[in-house]
Amino acid sequence: MRPLLEADQAAFCYPGRDSAVGPFSLSADSGELHHVNGPSGCGKSTLARMLTGLIPHLYRGALTGEVRVDGQRAADIPLWQLSARVGFVGQNPAAQLLATTVRDEVLFGLENLGLSNVEMRRRLDTTLATFGLRELENRDPRTLSGGEQQKLVLAAITARRPQVIVFDEVLSMLDAASARAVAQHVERLRRDGTGVVAFEHRPALKTWYQDAHCHTLANVPPAESPLPDLPQQIAPFQVRVAGVEVTLGSQRALEDIDLSLKGGQVIALVGANGAGKTTLLRALAGLQRHSGHIHDGTGARPRLGLCFQNPDQQIFNPSVRQEILFGNARIDAARYRCVVELLGLVPYENTPPLLLSEGEKKRLGLAILLMRPGLRGLCLDEPTLGQDGDHRRRIGRIVRHLAGAGYLCVVATHDLEWAAEWCDEFVVLHAGKIAEHQQSTTLHRPVAKEPECHLAV
Amino acid sequence: MPPGGLGQSIAPDSFLRRVDPRTKIALSLAASAAVGIPLRPLAFFGACFVGLLAGAGLARQAAAQLWRARLWFAVLFLLDWTFVGVDFAVLITLRLALLAAAFILVFATTTPDELRVAGERLGLPPRLAFAFATAFRSLALLEREWQGILEAQKARDIVGMQSLEKPHWWLRRDDFTSAAALVVPAIVLAAQRAWSISEAAAARGFESPLRRSYRTLRLGALDHVLLVATVVVLGGSILLR
Repeated sequence: MRPLLEADQAAFCYPGRDSAVGPFSLSADSGELHHVNGPSGCGKSTLARMLTGLIPHLYRGALTGEVRVDGQRAADIPLWQLSARVGFVGQNPAAQLLATTVRDEVLFGLENLGLSNVEMRRRLDTTLATFGLRELENRDPRTLSGGEQQKLVLAAITARRPQVIVFDEVLSMLDAASARAVAQHVERLRRDGTGVVAFEHRPALKTWYQDAHCHTLANVPPAESPLPDLPQQIAPFQVRVAGVEVTLGSQRALEDIDLSLKGGQVIALVGANGAGKTTLLRALAGLQRHSGHIHDGTGARPRLGLCFQNPDQQIFNPSVRQEILFGNARIDAARYRCVVELLGLVPYENTPPLLLSEGEKKRLGLAILLMRPGLRGLCLDEPTLGQDGDHRRRIGRIVRHLAGAGYLCVVATHDLEWAAEWCDEFVVLHAGKIAEHQQSTTLHRPVAKEPECHLAV
Repeated sequence: MPPGGLGQSIAPDSFLRRVDPRTKIALSLAASAAVGIPLRPLAFFGACFVGLLAGAGLARQAAAQLWRARLWFAVLFLLDWTFVGVDFAVLITLRLALLAAAFILVFATTTPDELRVAGERLGLPPRLAFAFATAFRSLALLEREWQGILEAQKARDIVGMQSLEKPHWWLRRDDFTSAAALVVPAIVLAAQRAWSISEAAAARGFESPLRRSYRTLRLGALDHVLLVATVVVLGGSILLR
């Protein structure tokens, strides 16, 4: 019998690149779960797009080997027909939203199947009920949380009843509770007979894939050479946060924040989406107007830099070197050399920054900050988001190394497992307030036992 | 409803929410055609239009829209006054203000999905109607993204970034650097967004020839009243021109 979805030595080479992604083979049938694991940058997203026919229908490049759906070559089937049989859910839910209400989002895909209004209404009702979206039917999808958005995208694809759904790291941008909820829906789909091919490297989800067909793509872990020391050590300092409050519109984003931090510490800011983590980071970095005080021991404002979640917002120079050195009136060559070595950017100095992987771009953002004179601390917004184990470990080592040089590192993260391994203290935020402030060791045990646990706040 | 830019907010309580988007498009086109009439009837028409906006609960939105363009209005008014005369300056400014406010009738009371369906019913190819609705929907996102980029570059201490927030009349060398620091990421992010949307639409069978819209559009009594008004405005603007 012919499998539903089959990749036979499929490989793809983007125009202007020397090496191809693949070759890759897989055979998926209804009710099967295939888990494809591999490090960041190994080509998981490309393979996912090959399986769904987005490659070669939307992308130019050289495709070798074959992808077949029900024995028919995917390249020969029009994309609108192919998408009715093979669904695709991508990594970033916000980038996949097409409509202005939850209802219209689900209807968008149904309208393209040419169904009658009665059938569309029936499928809409069933889908909204199954995914628990009934209450949100008239909401603008952009106002939903990341987890709800991903659930909505999954619902919109599921409503079309494809035989197989390909998931491209759909959990990587979600907090633990949201990831668990989405994963449960995926599991239910499989029980109902839909084939599932999940490209995922979130380590804590491995247990959920125990009965899956596992495929591991080439994994070359980076060599862990000792990290170079920065030329200057930061003198010991303190940061006192007293009664900080932030109001955004009519909403109180931060309330009565009191913290005492010092150079050399790595602090994890954790909490659910909307808890106020990013707002607190922005306040610490001097980018958010607030009441209350943030000062060092002498009453002056400490110079803390913010490393943004989306590094593409900062990149505009033609090479990594120029990007890092931009705006530095006096170039400190020794410091520059040290920073690029520390962050593993030496091979990319002359590469256009836009061609870097997400993990490399995040390290570039850190390099830009470290070249700023007089900086005493770093605020990092979700530095491990969407990163595989090796990249997460690399970021952890760098952060600890910087703390060793005297920098204060404050990290907003959903990645509790990473935070438990690399941070000294946890500040748990809930609804704009500090719910708990603990030493890492006290949180380490429960977090290690169940890495995807949601902090009870 | 807080006043915002185009595509940022929909007035939920406006009576125009109950009107077919095609009627609103016709009315807005008629209003923008009427700006060519002479000053005296234009002032009368302008007063009627302001009344319509107020009745539809869109006065604040329109005022906010015009306030954003105040600098351009002021410059044009001064130029026209200096080189032609005050009557001409008033006429041109009034025309531009009406033109800027004309499409608020559509954009502040119609969701992008409704616009898409209206476009398809008016005979636009689905691809074009979708592109138009998506561009409209993305206006608010682009503004938010622009603010994000501005903040990210300010965080880098890029020289001249502060000056961009306080516009000035003369250009400095730093302004060019600052502009590049903002424009390049803005283009990259917009291109990334456009690509993601194309991919997401394709993954839901967007190019299907079987496509049929769930939403149905039907002209009601209010639509007929407004369409008569549209014909009157159009006829009047042709006769008075």
